[in-house]
Amino acid sequence: MEGSSEPLLDAKTKVTNQLVDFQWKLGMAVSSDSCRSLKYPYVAVMLKVADQSGQVKSKSFEMTIPQFQNFYRQFKEIAAIIETV
Amino acid sequence: MLLDLSEEHKEHLAFLPQVDSSVVAEFGRIAVEFLRRGSNPKIYDGAARKLNVSRDTVQHGVEGLTYLLTESSKLMISELDFQDSIFVLGFSEELNKLLLQLYLDNRKEIRTILSELAPDFPSYHSLEWRLDVQLASRSLRQQIKPSVTIKLHLNQNGDRNTQVLQTDPATLLHLVQQLEQALEEMKTNHCRRVVRNIK
Repeated sequence: MEGSSEPLLDAKTKVTNQLVDFQWKLGMAVSSDSCRSLKYPYVAVMLKVADQSGQVKSKSFEMTIPQFQNFYRQFKEIAAIIETV
Repeated sequence: MLLDLSEEHKEHLAFLPQVDSSVVAEFGRIAVEFLRRGSNPKIYDGAARKLNVSRDTVQHGVEGLTYLLTESSKLMISELDFQDSIFVLGFSEELNKLLLQLYLDNRKEIRTILSELAPDFPSYHSLEWRLDVQLASRSLRQQIKPSVTIKLHLNQNGDRNTQVLQTDPATLLHLVQQLEQALEEMKTNHCRRVVRNIK
């Protein structure tokens, strides 16, 4: 496709970054400097991504349970669509 | 300690005896204002027209005067050393007195401005913490593992930086112990002696 700017979804070439690792944990915050008594569950994710030169960078983030459920729904949708491809 | 003025610097300052002492005083005022707020080149054009000289001559004169003041202030040279340093320029006694007065009047403020040029390390602004219990991870379920999450807010060069760190309670206790030990050092005889001498 001449002049197309769609990324080639070939995991071997041209994808700018590759997912190397996906770690997660489920925790519960019980106390903080602003609130002494909490019951706040969350999911923490740590991604390891390698760029084209092979350098690995870590990125971590947290989600509340509703945010995580939304996150999970996205992957369910992706999985469903892949089935139809 | 005497100032060692370069030939180029002496040439630039040679403009000062060619004008009225009121003009030199005005140049001094401009020099300090430029140190406070940055230079404003338009001032040179106005002054050059009024004095009927080239803009470069005015610029070099003001910059030469600025450099004289900052070097003297930086080294905190004594009155006598300042007078001896500018003696080599062969100026009139009136001009020498004016320059000395400019130095003495503005030295403290110039030193304050110069102190802001030191490299700025990130410094503490505030700290937020949270006590968490890890219940499960990808590799292990059914856990009860306490940990402390800390959000450290730092200032650097006027910007805010944030670092998120995590540790277990035992390491945190150790960290607190180390910091307390560091504070204890202030009470030792050695530190007390140094602090007393600085005051």
